[in-house]
Amino acid sequence: MRYLLVAVLGLLIGAAAAGVAIYYNPLIETRSSAEPDVADRALHYSLPSEVLGFALGERVLPPGTPKRDGLLWEETIERSAMLSLVLEDAQDKPTAIASRMLAVSPRTDFVLSGVRVNDYWLLTIPGEGTLFLRADENVWPFVKETLPVWYFGRPWKGPVEYNPTAGPGEHGQAVVVGATGRFVGLEGTAVAKYRLTDLDPAARSMAATGEIDFKLGASQVAKSE
Amino acid sequence: MKTTFFLALFLGFAGVLAAGHWVPWGAHVRLPSQTHVVANGGRAEQFLIRLPADRIDVAGAKTVGLRAASAAATLPPQLTAEPLLVEHFKVRDAAGNVIGLAARHWSADTHSSGTAWSLMIPSRGALLLTAPAEPRAALDTALRNAGYTAGALWNGNVKVAFAPEDSDSAIVAAGSEEFAGLAGKYSETWTVTGVTDGGELHGTIEIDTVTRQGS
Repeated sequence: MRYLLVAVLGLLIGAAAAGVAIYYNPLIETRSSAEPDVADRALHYSLPSEVLGFALGERVLPPGTPKRDGLLWEETIERSAMLSLVLEDAQDKPTAIASRMLAVSPRTDFVLSGVRVNDYWLLTIPGEGTLFLRADENVWPFVKETLPVWYFGRPWKGPVEYNPTAGPGEHGQAVVVGATGRFVGLEGTAVAKYRLTDLDPAARSMAATGEIDFKLGASQVAKSE
Repeated sequence: MKTTFFLALFLGFAGVLAAGHWVPWGAHVRLPSQTHVVANGGRAEQFLIRLPADRIDVAGAKTVGLRAASAAATLPPQLTAEPLLVEHFKVRDAAGNVIGLAARHWSADTHSSGTAWSLMIPSRGALLLTAPAEPRAALDTALRNAGYTAGALWNGNVKVAFAPEDSDSAIVAAGSEEFAGLAGKYSETWTVTGVTDGGELHGTIEIDTVTRQGS
């Protein structure tokens, strides 16, 4: 019996130590190499004020979050989310509308790559055309700092900036493909940035500003990545 | 006893790290792909949207027709100066199972006319489909020709091909993950079987793709 207790105690301490190692694991922090080159365009938005609509998968909601209608409940999309946004230019003029489809990525790995999310954008700038953007994002730094505030009442050290873009481009940038209008035949890269400005543990809510910087050039290779 | 403790400690530590690395935390439920081989090469796959059940939301200028009528959110006037319609749907496979999400952007101004679909199937990746834009309120015109009057209940069967089957300009323009490297064509057909007095559409959207690797 004493051996069993000692074994259980050892297991628990070992598991807790691994949890701490994962929490402080430098390998799963976003690499900062995904800085944009000189961006052709930078568009920004506020969350939640510039969200036109959103739908969340049942399994992307953190435990304890009140459920709402319009959930993506089907098992194939329950770890996905969808939202539409209005984006503004540097003069704060509404310039574009974007649809974003997000899904937890199979590349999620708590030891080597972090909590990965596939983020697909369809972004239309009226009078110019539509762009398709594919970003691989590491949201671990955000999750790691937000959930303890929500669940354990830890003081929030905000505002905080996040640069989650981690691919799939060569230098850790997102990939952009021109779809319609003047963007047809263009390809490029993009980087997303967020600034978390408010975090309310009681309401499990937050406010943030986001920015997407992209650079486009003539297509050099095949259309598919 | 010391040995037991340290062995258990190691097992606990290694077990959690192994779970963090090898458990498929980001895996999605995947249904068998409803694809079939095309006789002259390539593979065909149909994606289906049932209206109104699969419509998630819509944003656009009311002037673009019936499809924007149910828009819940108001767009800033700067974005409605040009004809623009953004629609979000759940997307099904040919067997009718929900497998993913889709966004459709349509604009018909003189400089940037076009339609773009982005289909995301979480377990498989994403597809970008592009085509020339259909005329403004094309569905409304077809419905009116079939006897529909705005504000009145209507039942019938109207089929409108926004991207006809024989069109070479409706293309599979890009893909990721499992769809990476695929190129091909698609067709898009809206079949409307009813419109409620509130303007809600009933029917289906069929997106038929024919793709091949590296073409």
